[in-house]
Amino acid sequence: MVSGVKETRRDKVFLICNYIYVFLAFIIVFYPVVYMLSASISDPKYVGSGEMWLLPKGITFEGYKRVFENSAIWTGYGNTILYTAIGTLVNLAVTLPAAYALSRKDFVGRNFFMGMFMVTMFFGGGLVPSYLLIKELGMVNSMWALIIPSAASIWNIIVSRTFFQSSIPKELQEAAQIDGCTNMRMFVKIILPLSTPIIAVMALFYGVGHWNSYFSAMIYLNDAAKYPLQLVLRQILVLQEMAAQGGGAMDMATASALNNKAEVAALMKYSVIIVATLPIIAVYPFLQRYFVQGVMIGSVKG
Amino acid sequence: MMKLRKASSVLLCLTLATSLLAACGSSKEGEKAAEGGNTTEAAKDVKKEGFPIVSQPLTLKMMSQDAGQADWNKMPVLQEMEKLTGIKMEYQLAPVDSYETKKNLVFASGNLPDVFFAADLKPAEQVTYGTQGVLIPLDPYIDGGYAPNLKKVFDEHPEIRKSFTTPDGHMYALPYIDLSAVWYRGPMWYNGKFLKKLGMTELPKTTDELYTYLKRVKDEDANGNGKQDEVPLASVKLDDLRMYFLGFWGIYGEAYYADKDGKVHYTPQEEGYKGYLTFLNKLWKENLLDHETFSQTDEQKKAKGKNNQVALFSDYFPYFTLGGEPSEDNPLMTPVKSEVAGSPVYGKHPGISARGTFAITSSNPNPEATMRWVDYLYSYEGSTLFNQGPENLLWKFKNKDAKEKEWLPVPGGGDREEYKGTITPNYGILTPGINMSEVTKGLRSSFDDWIDKENQEKLVPIARSPFPNVYLTDAEQSEATALLSDLNTYVIQMEAKFVTGQEPLSNWDKYVAQLKKMGSDRIVELYQAAHDR
Repeated sequence: MVSGVKETRRDKVFLICNYIYVFLAFIIVFYPVVYMLSASISDPKYVGSGEMWLLPKGITFEGYKRVFENSAIWTGYGNTILYTAIGTLVNLAVTLPAAYALSRKDFVGRNFFMGMFMVTMFFGGGLVPSYLLIKELGMVNSMWALIIPSAASIWNIIVSRTFFQSSIPKELQEAAQIDGCTNMRMFVKIILPLSTPIIAVMALFYGVGHWNSYFSAMIYLNDAAKYPLQLVLRQILVLQEMAAQGGGAMDMATASALNNKAEVAALMKYSVIIVATLPIIAVYPFLQRYFVQGVMIGSVKG
Repeated sequence: MMKLRKASSVLLCLTLATSLLAACGSSKEGEKAAEGGNTTEAAKDVKKEGFPIVSQPLTLKMMSQDAGQADWNKMPVLQEMEKLTGIKMEYQLAPVDSYETKKNLVFASGNLPDVFFAADLKPAEQVTYGTQGVLIPLDPYIDGGYAPNLKKVFDEHPEIRKSFTTPDGHMYALPYIDLSAVWYRGPMWYNGKFLKKLGMTELPKTTDELYTYLKRVKDEDANGNGKQDEVPLASVKLDDLRMYFLGFWGIYGEAYYADKDGKVHYTPQEEGYKGYLTFLNKLWKENLLDHETFSQTDEQKKAKGKNNQVALFSDYFPYFTLGGEPSEDNPLMTPVKSEVAGSPVYGKHPGISARGTFAITSSNPNPEATMRWVDYLYSYEGSTLFNQGPENLLWKFKNKDAKEKEWLPVPGGGDREEYKGTITPNYGILTPGINMSEVTKGLRSSFDDWIDKENQEKLVPIARSPFPNVYLTDAEQSEATALLSDLNTYVIQMEAKFVTGQEPLSNWDKYVAQLKKMGSDRIVELYQAAHDR
């Protein structure tokens, strides 16, 4: 606030309302986080019955202990990190050049290519044809099945294209050309260094996407040792539901087994979620400043 | 200058093209996977008796569901099986929860495994894929001497064979057989502590007595904590108690059933079903049926049980809900008598799984050997191996001739069931095989025996299987599926409305008329025809 200017009554009312509003918004966002944290160290009995609603009750670290002892979770963790790292690199290597090329007004066939890209935003092959394609490409049960088909997101290409168009002055590119700079060199030496915000944003978009995805892993991977973290997590959570449904023909051993699993799942559920989300939460604050810059510049000025 | 610029434009354009390809995924490259053909030559190598089954090493691709307990390649049971039969299995596993999706993908894409294990094949799937030739008929191999154990079971129980034979006269999948099975799903249990506190020496025998007891639980502070927080009857969306309760009004099954004279009924339009709704509505009005019934999860229900709030509930075993160790203090609910003559009844499990647990596909190079492989699971030795693990790991023989066994301490301590999950695939999934009482001889706990006793006393005398396992023809099946899917949605909705009183029971006739309009009588016709075949 600029000092010296006296706040009017209306300003004050506005300010108070603003604080109340922001505070409420904060509570809404913050409550689930606290709930998760508390639930992860509470006795599942209290979580299930709703007695634990804010602060932990019947504190137990058994859930975390189980998580740290569970080797599937750690293999999953390793896989997710690997897929996220490689996947994001591939995404960037594909998205940025494509976006830059499309941002150049002197690029012949620009509208045609853009049109072709747009088509894929609205039409897809469907699950079975996609599966057949991946299978024929020999990518089933390999990490490339998770990376190559989603290498380019049109939405992200458009966001980056808008960034290139609006934040990098055309004059700069012309000047470089006059000095004898090639397109390739211009892209690598001039455009990229000027584009750190959008690179960071793209890395975050794609990275979070890879981190959270489980569907293609579920469809294409057959080998449990290759499962990413989210799939392991899903397995733990869904098994609990299955135990509840029971039904069908079950023998006693099966029933006891499922019940056993359900109890373990109730115990582990929240701790796994915490462990699985933590890295993203940890990375976000560092990328956040680019985030605001990158997306805002890209979208508003476009 | 211009040239250079053009050249690099081309380069960028190429990058662009690559991303375009990736984006719309239209690449036509990729090698065609080699598919295994059908050979009958291989059959000569297959022995009809004794092990190993094949002299030349044979590798088969097996698709199955996986409870995620351990690596199948390292399971002692499967290693033992490989050593014994000479057949190596390559496992293509899907987690239990995504197996359904993957199974459909595999059928749709034609990228078939050789064998489905714990196949979970619905009757409709067996008919469809069997007629298409994707699954091969198993009966020629069973009759051809490649399944002596299975053949023996079928000869002793021709009804099992009959109920797994599709309308075209072939059998495309094998069931899990458990002739001692009684329950379809978890039955109802009383909380023993409440019974004791309220001085109940006898369990309620009629619906009125049941009502009185539940009322007392609520009013007399059965858990003695001074708060009226008792939940006399707990349920999750009524799915867990429906079948058990319907028996009190003489109904055997949830959707359709055949009565003693072989007449098929569609449950939701029966008078008995109205009785069931009326009773639950009464419980609901007096807050005796948990008011969170339609919103809570199983986990929440269990939490109430562990909190000692619940008097009557459904679960596989009472201690799953109440917590603690297996105990004989919480009795099985005795089905109660209502105004309907001949009640109560109990819909008993038919003794075989409704879904196929094992199937052989058209890409299998050696169905004969595969048949012998699975046949072992229907023998005493195979059943023991798959259910209890190899000898001297978790158990040893006390008296081999009498087939009596005893437990060994669990290696490394820990939970026996959990350890079992790491040595055998028979954990949390329904696999092919047969349940024989000799397999667990000497291994049974007193709790197992108590459960048996409760079943024999309370359920078996009034029990009958609601409907034989029948197959509809393709056309009938699609008609029934379409009708039932609409009917089920409507019925579930109306059930909740009637029970909670949103829809007064005086509207019953209107509801039945609507059911008829939606084709409930056609369902009766279709299943009557299938039943009579």
